[in-house]
Amino acid sequence: MRIRNNNVPAGKFVLLVALLLVGLTVLGCIGVKSTPEGGSGGTIADGAIFLAPTIKQSGGFGCTSPAVDGKLVALSAADGTRFWEIPLEGSRSGGGFGCQSSATPAAIYGSPAVSGELVYIGGYNGKIYAINAASGSLRWVYPREGNLQPVIGGVTIALDRVYFGDADGKVYALDAATGDKQWEFTIGDKIWATPAVSGDRLYIGSFDKKLYALSAIDGTKQWEFVVEGAIVSTPLVYNDMVYIGSFDRYFYALDAASGDLKWEFLAERWFWTKAVAYNNTIYAGCFDGKVYALGAENGEELAALDLESPVYSWPVLVEGSVFVATEEGKIYAIDTVANQETLLADIEEAIYAPLSAEGGVIYIYSQKQNLHALNAASGASLWSLTIK
Amino acid sequence: MGIGDIWNLIAMQPMINTLIVLTHYLFNNFGLTIIVLTLIVNGIIFPLTLRQIRASKAMQDLQPKIAELQKKYGKDKEKIAREQMKLFKESGVSPAGCLLPLVVQMPIWIALYQSIMRVLAVIPENLVGLSGFLYSWPIVYSTLPLNNEFLWLNLARGDIFLALLVGGTMWVQQKMVMSPTVDPKQQTQSTMMLWMMPIFFAYLTLSFPSGLALFWVTSNVVRIGMQYFIGGWGGLVKSEPKKPTGRDKKYKERIAKVEEFPKLEEFPEGDADIVVPDSTQEEGSSYEESGDKRHDGGGGYTKSLRATKRQPKRGRGHRRKRG
Repeated sequence: MRIRNNNVPAGKFVLLVALLLVGLTVLGCIGVKSTPEGGSGGTIADGAIFLAPTIKQSGGFGCTSPAVDGKLVALSAADGTRFWEIPLEGSRSGGGFGCQSSATPAAIYGSPAVSGELVYIGGYNGKIYAINAASGSLRWVYPREGNLQPVIGGVTIALDRVYFGDADGKVYALDAATGDKQWEFTIGDKIWATPAVSGDRLYIGSFDKKLYALSAIDGTKQWEFVVEGAIVSTPLVYNDMVYIGSFDRYFYALDAASGDLKWEFLAERWFWTKAVAYNNTIYAGCFDGKVYALGAENGEELAALDLESPVYSWPVLVEGSVFVATEEGKIYAIDTVANQETLLADIEEAIYAPLSAEGGVIYIYSQKQNLHALNAASGASLWSLTIK
Repeated sequence: MGIGDIWNLIAMQPMINTLIVLTHYLFNNFGLTIIVLTLIVNGIIFPLTLRQIRASKAMQDLQPKIAELQKKYGKDKEKIAREQMKLFKESGVSPAGCLLPLVVQMPIWIALYQSIMRVLAVIPENLVGLSGFLYSWPIVYSTLPLNNEFLWLNLARGDIFLALLVGGTMWVQQKMVMSPTVDPKQQTQSTMMLWMMPIFFAYLTLSFPSGLALFWVTSNVVRIGMQYFIGGWGGLVKSEPKKPTGRDKKYKERIAKVEEFPKLEEFPEGDADIVVPDSTQEEGSSYEESGDKRHDGGGGYTKSLRATKRQPKRGRGHRRKRG
């Protein structure tokens, strides 16, 4: 009788599983994430910082019930004392087998916006929240039932409305007091950018490689400008011009009323962050590790300040100096007269969240979940807290 | 430059940029790109895959002989290992022939897997990370971010139908390479193997973006095709295996030569420790053909098959005791 032996197939099974696990380990090691962590910058109002910390996933790969709930916290801008915090529930009911892909965490990327007595914030879970700034109690949530597609950009408050876009390619305007929808405009591709409002016009970019100008009153389209790459940065409106960077590596200056191109500037890599303007100069951070100082009128390159690490977080302007954080954790102060940078501090932690400033203090929230308060003049650390 | 940087430079960057450029030329359809790139990668590593499948099949054909050795030497694992190596050598089968191509292919698959995960970039963290892998080609910058929609799928999310397809194609592939067995223990093991892997992968697929599942399904289908080309439907249908061609034929012939030697159960019953078949001379000629000129005194294959216990007579002619 011939005897057959299947030890080799069984060995193969073990080998394949082992190889798979090695592959997954390698995958884990290179940091390819599939769940959003968020982490907003701080917004300062009335001596308080409002901040949504990152959500760090607690499980391993696969279906290990990762964390999905986020929160908004209010802290003292003076010393970091916690005033209140409010949980923001993620969605666990997306179907599937309880796997991570079915859970939608309440990760917050856009910095909170404060207007009057309310703090507004939009989440990856497709919800917009209005929260009482003094007490931390929820005033309203939109939509009341269900969820929108992820809101990755921040919200903008103007004309008593809350403006934002979602990953479904829709721009919304809500009544700031009640959360009732006033209008929506469908773009058709993802929106990750925070809208900018100037006068009665709203500007917003999309993955569809267009910058849109809409009526902030009723949402009608006024013009659109086509570029060669996706737009995730927030437009800067300055002196009747709109400045925007794109994934096509160009930085554009457009006429705010007509959308006509005034000038364009080619960098080496993506523009992601919002630019700042001071004294007729535009400061635009780029993923090529440089901050470009460009003439607002003609796009002339006044300086290319090499910070040697991508600039992702929004810069902030304090008393004539532009403060910029690099991804690797260095904070530079750019002298707007000489257009020269000075290293202010190195916190050695990745920085994605927008910077904020108040009273000569720079606030930086890192991906390590630490909130740092630095003296804007000296770079000295005033305090540092872990916020999670 | 660390290992990670080298890996990114030689594997990740070429793969990611190829994916993006291909997407541009394939109507900005990332699903189609995954399929095409999987086919291209399969084409590039085709010689390796072919070698692996052939070696696995040859190894599978040797299983009866290995089983005999295991039965004969019982718990003497060292002896079994030694005899197995001799058997592999004589039949021209190399265990490394099964594993080496697999090991060489693994980095390619891991790179493809990681590239798909990165290029899908459904959350800001991934898109930020992706920017560091891009070449300075305008086409790359204008193509990103990629469209995640393909047929009914959102390539960034898990899909139950695709998970079933991954499991199903993997099951078919497993079934094709499996040998039938009458041993209940082996049968259980085979069945477990046949079902566990597909279920395991289908379950994993639910947790990963369906873009990755598309890559797995395509790979499985290609593998099934290759398997059919080499060994027919195998265990999938009860039919004659496909006639071996080319190198398969060579393997088969060498294995057939080894199998010409008498089987364990064919040895005559006797009291002596050493029993030598009387067809030694004929077998010796086989050795010469296979390049091994050692005869029974040389510790070759025939010696390894000397029975150490009584064997029933099976009428294969007269056998004599030595010594």
